[in-house]
Amino acid sequence: SMAGGLEPHLEALRREMAAPGPAVLSVLLALLVVVFTFLIWRFVQGRRSSRKAVLLLGLCDAGKTLLFARLLTGRYRDTQTSITDSSAVYRARNDKSANVTLIDLPGHESLRLQFLERFKAAARAIVFVVDSVAFQREVKDVAEFLYQVLVDNTVLKNAPALLIACNKQDVTMAKSAKLIQQQLEKELNTLRVTRSAAPTSLDGSATGGPAQLGKKGKDFDFSQLPMKVEFVECSARGSKGEEGDADFEGLEKWLAKIA
Amino acid sequence: ERGGNNSFTHEALTLKYKLDNQFELVFVVGFQKILTLTYVDKLIDDVHKEFRDKYRNEFQQKGTLGLLNGTFDFKDDFMRLLRDAEESSKVRAPTVMKTFEQSLKSQKTVKCMIETRGEKPKEKVKNKKNKGSKKEGTEAVAAPGKASAGDKQPSAAGEKEELTKDEILQKNREEFFKRHMKAGEKSRSPKPEAQKEKGKKPRVWDLGNSNAKVLDYSNSATNGSAEACPMEEFDPDIALGDRNREPGRLYDLEYESDDEAEEEKVIQNPSKPSTKKGGLGGMFGMLKGLVGSKSLTREDMDPVLEKMKDHLIAKNVAAEIALQLCESVAKKLEGKVMGTFTTVTSTVKQALQEALVQILQPQRRVDVLRDVMDAQRHRRPYVVTFCGVNGVGKSTNLAKISFWLIENGFSVLIAACDTFRAGAVEQLRTHTRRLNALHPPESHGGRTMVQLYEKGYGKDAAGIAMEAISYARNQGFDVVLVDTAGRMQDNAPLMTALAKLIAVNAPDLVLFVGEALVGNEAVDQLVKFNKALADHSMAQTPRLIDGIVLTKFDTIDDKVGAAISMTYITSKPIVFVGTGQTYCDLRSLNAKAVVAALMKA
Repeated sequence: SMAGGLEPHLEALRREMAAPGPAVLSVLLALLVVVFTFLIWRFVQGRRSSRKAVLLLGLCDAGKTLLFARLLTGRYRDTQTSITDSSAVYRARNDKSANVTLIDLPGHESLRLQFLERFKAAARAIVFVVDSVAFQREVKDVAEFLYQVLVDNTVLKNAPALLIACNKQDVTMAKSAKLIQQQLEKELNTLRVTRSAAPTSLDGSATGGPAQLGKKGKDFDFSQLPMKVEFVECSARGSKGEEGDADFEGLEKWLAKIA
Repeated sequence: ERGGNNSFTHEALTLKYKLDNQFELVFVVGFQKILTLTYVDKLIDDVHKEFRDKYRNEFQQKGTLGLLNGTFDFKDDFMRLLRDAEESSKVRAPTVMKTFEQSLKSQKTVKCMIETRGEKPKEKVKNKKNKGSKKEGTEAVAAPGKASAGDKQPSAAGEKEELTKDEILQKNREEFFKRHMKAGEKSRSPKPEAQKEKGKKPRVWDLGNSNAKVLDYSNSATNGSAEACPMEEFDPDIALGDRNREPGRLYDLEYESDDEAEEEKVIQNPSKPSTKKGGLGGMFGMLKGLVGSKSLTREDMDPVLEKMKDHLIAKNVAAEIALQLCESVAKKLEGKVMGTFTTVTSTVKQALQEALVQILQPQRRVDVLRDVMDAQRHRRPYVVTFCGVNGVGKSTNLAKISFWLIENGFSVLIAACDTFRAGAVEQLRTHTRRLNALHPPESHGGRTMVQLYEKGYGKDAAGIAMEAISYARNQGFDVVLVDTAGRMQDNAPLMTALAKLIAVNAPDLVLFVGEALVGNEAVDQLVKFNKALADHSMAQTPRLIDGIVLTKFDTIDDKVGAAISMTYITSKPIVFVGTGQTYCDLRSLNAKAVVAALMKA
């Protein structure tokens, strides 16, 4: 009797499956549309939100936090060594609707790699701030950090635009952008040899060690990189000191271009 | 990752800090080290609360721009809080002494304070049974002291109810003397002598007092004569054991790891019941956590942290370091608001993982090749010194590193400064020969890539090192690798000798070789090595250990905790990892892989 009650239902189901009626068909179609829309929405969302950030990187005391404050508020601020990231939305000067998120990362050696890991996937562009006054002394450390950034897999894949901002130009002893570029190229040339010759890391990375920077056989050149690299001179403090404005039209123009 | 303790001393200043993880604020108070200010903690707490409440809006709503644009006019509030804290500490210090009427003593009757003669011997006997003879002396002297007081009391008690001030003073004086009695004062009065003699009977040991004769079991005739001692039956089978074994082969150690696992489980079980309590409240908390408005408290994190600490210790991280790490993670997470759909466990694990990666990724990456190139340019050799305890693999890894350097085209001079261990120089000579066979001079432009500088055994290691360096400079070698003898960190003369070698020769790189099998010992070794180097150095900034070579890494599966212990103690990077005993078994550290292995269940 029970089986008898079930049988007609099963029959009905089987009939429906064999020749689906309009009701079932429309339900299935609706489901498909919903799933499809969802996927498209996620894809678009991912694309748009994934790379909206401009990272401010550099060694300790390069002037990243002051640049960050100047870009956002235009005013001078006394800053401390950053121990965590700060992010805010930056609207370009010429008021285009597009805006980017500026992210100021700490430059301290024990923190920089950790924060780079966290934010590198979201980077649309990278501003590498260099202290032009202390450059002669720090050239090896600057090059090492720049090398670590350039050789990172995510950075190589996304190829965000790179701007090397030679900061602290208000001081008379500051090196020019041209000189900094030459020195960095020479140092990176040496570094890629020594780094690739380092013993392979544990767990035998099957990828064959760190990626090769630039072209083999030729001296390293910034034009060999997959991303656009520009050099610009700027001064976060500004030539008129704390009351005046910062001197960074080149930086602002580049940011407007990126946005 | 050192957030566990909240104070820091630098020269004459002490800094105390407090973290607010919810709004990412740090409050720092600095004061002179010589002042011991009791109100600092209270001040910092008050400032924290007031600042947070006053500017809560700015933090929550306006975010970073609020921080940049906002004016935080806190000076007046701070001065007020500082004044309050100072006053509160001043008021509390002098406590008014209670008058006699207020004290409890005046309310007691005299009778209960008098100790009569009859009671005293009871106490004495009781104490004698429990404690040793030292107590006897004190009690014996106290007894007459009390006896004299007691003699006076009964007579006085009859006359008045209350003791006069003089009686009290005398009583107190006697109590005072009783407490500070030493054995030497036994001869204070004849009465105690008599009592003591009665009480002090010579202790009879069961076996003592019998002279040596009784204890001598040896047959007087056997000394020196072999015939009196019957020869045991020598059975070669029993002596040799297994007849079937191959002569000369050393078998592997067989052990069962199951017992150990069981023991661990048994130990962990007692700690589990504590996590079961809080059923319904825990459920609500979990739901709230899923929604994402829960802020982490210490109680939430404690069970998770305990588990993580035990897990780390099981992975061979030194116990105190695991503890400090968990403390630091707790401090960093306390009060933080969790995101949506994150549990306490996942947040804590994530934070711990980040802390571990940060520990392993060095402050300054040691790029040996780069530094050798620099030294080459200045036409001087790059000197590397290897130090460590016995048997960690210094000579083996030295050979591996010289192989790697030769492959990269640098010529190496090996200085045999291990003048103590048998065969050390021969070992290095064999390595040199093999390396030269692998890289003959013909393939390197006629240059001998490896050479050994040795002066035999028994000589002063520091002197040999100095001669080796000047020889390398004259002959144009690129790198000098100095091999030292293994020494225990407690051995003061050897540590002094090592410190002298390093201080005198000023090597470019001092590498500490440590094996990955070491557990809590790692902490002790590194601390003592660094201390010895710092103590015996004449310079302002002493040369300490610059890097670590982690050896025998292939012997541990995933119990990689030694890497954490060593880098935590020294804050210096792990430069090389030795993973075997052939020349190619040299690797560099992959922080993420090691942390993954560490966190794996």
